[in-house]
Amino acid sequence: MLEKECIQQRGFRNVELDGKVTGFQINIRLTNYRGLWLSQLRPATIIVDGETFAGQQITWTINGVTYEQAELAERGDDHWSLLDPATLTVAKEGGLASGCHEIEVRFVYSSSYIPPVADTLLGSKPHKRTLILV
Amino acid sequence: MSNQPGGTGNPKRGVSIYSYAGEYGVTMTLEDMFAEMHSIGAKGVEILANGHIENYPNPSQEWLENWDRLIAKYDIVPAEYGHWVDSRMYQGRELTSQESYDMLVRDFKLANRLGFKVLRTKLGVIDDTLTPVHNWREFIEMALPMAERYDVRMCPEIHVPTLLKSKMVDDYVEFIKKTGTKHFGLNIDFGVFETKRLPASEWGPDDFVMPESEHSPVEDIIPLLPYVYCCHAKFVKMSDDFEEMTIPYEKILRTLMEHNWDGYLVSEYEGPKKDVQGYAVDQVRKHHVMMKRILGK
Repeated sequence: MLEKECIQQRGFRNVELDGKVTGFQINIRLTNYRGLWLSQLRPATIIVDGETFAGQQITWTINGVTYEQAELAERGDDHWSLLDPATLTVAKEGGLASGCHEIEVRFVYSSSYIPPVADTLLGSKPHKRTLILV
Repeated sequence: MSNQPGGTGNPKRGVSIYSYAGEYGVTMTLEDMFAEMHSIGAKGVEILANGHIENYPNPSQEWLENWDRLIAKYDIVPAEYGHWVDSRMYQGRELTSQESYDMLVRDFKLANRLGFKVLRTKLGVIDDTLTPVHNWREFIEMALPMAERYDVRMCPEIHVPTLLKSKMVDDYVEFIKKTGTKHFGLNIDFGVFETKRLPASEWGPDDFVMPESEHSPVEDIIPLLPYVYCCHAKFVKMSDDFEEMTIPYEKILRTLMEHNWDGYLVSEYEGPKKDVQGYAVDQVRKHHVMMKRILGK
C-alpha cells in the first residue's frame, strides 16, 4: 500500500555516482483518480528548504524508465499509473543532510474533458510534506 | 443489450469504483473494492481503465487472470468501462481522427477481454459548455465496425452543465439515428437532475464544487432511454435517514422502472470528504440502502 500523501517518505534518499553524492530522490504518487499519459504532464518544480529546483535539474523515472523533463511532452504512449509512484531525481552536489526537510512538489497535467481554459487546473495544488532523511 | 423500453427487468445496482478513489492503493486494493461491492449486493462494476488496470494499457497475464478470479469470486458483472479520448494530450494541438480512433480501438480490445459491453467514452471538449471536439463524428464513425467486432457500446456521459434537451444531446441522437448504430449511446449522469444545492458549508476548502447551472426535469430522460446503456447514479450527500439531499432519486428511479429500463445504475460518489478514510465507502453503502428500498432489490 502507498502512503496517502502525494509525496512519499519511502524512497527519500541521496543518490551517488562514482562514489560522489550527486543529488537526492523523492517518490511521488499520483493522487488523481486516473493515470496519465506522460505527455499530459508539465515539468515539475521542487522546493526543498526554500531552494528551488526545476527544468534539467529534475528527471522522472516511471516504470523503470528515466526521462528528462523536456522529453515528457512527446511521450504519449507511456503511462503513469496510480499504483506506481514516480521517482524524481534532483541534481544537487553533496545531496541533502540527514534530518528533516520541508519539501514542496509542484506539477500540473492536462485534462481534455475539462474546458480548455481550465486545462491544467485539476490536481494543480502544490504538494507539501516534511520528509526525514536518515 | 436489454435496456430497451418494453423490457421486463428493473434497473440494476452497481458501483463506479471511482467512488473509492481516496482509498484505492492506500487502504483498499481492487479486491477490497470488489469485496465491498459484494457485501452490499452491488453486482455491476464501473472501472476507469487507466485508473484501475495495472500497467494500462498493457496489463500482464497475471493481472488479467487475477481479474477473472475476482469477477468470479465476488460475483461481479463488468457493467461499464470508463475510458478517455484525451484530445489535448499533446500540448498545442488536438489529436487527429486516426489517433483518436487508435485510442478507441485499444480500449475496445481491453474492454472486451475484461468482459465489458458498455463503455463510458469521455471525449475531449472545446469550450465551457463541454461541446465535444469538432471531429467526433468522424472518428466515432470510423470506430463503429470495430465496436461491433468487439461487442462494445461507446457512451459519452451527459453531465452538468449539459441539459438533456440541448444541441449536444440532439447531435448524439441524430448521429445514432443516421448511422442506425447499436454501438453508440448515452450515459446519463444523475447530476443533471439536481434540484437542491448542498450548502457551501458542507464542502472542504480543497473540494471542487460544480458552479451553479440550469438542470433538467426528470421526464426529459424518457425519450432518450432507448439510447441509454448505463447511468451514473451520481450523488453528493446521503443523509443519515438514507435520502440523497440534492437529487430527486425516488422520481428518477420510478421513471426508469415505469419504462422498464433495466441497465446498471453505478453509484458515483462526488461529495465532500472523499479523502477521509472510510467516508465515501459509508456514503456508497447508504446510497445502496436507498436504491434497494426504491427498486425493491
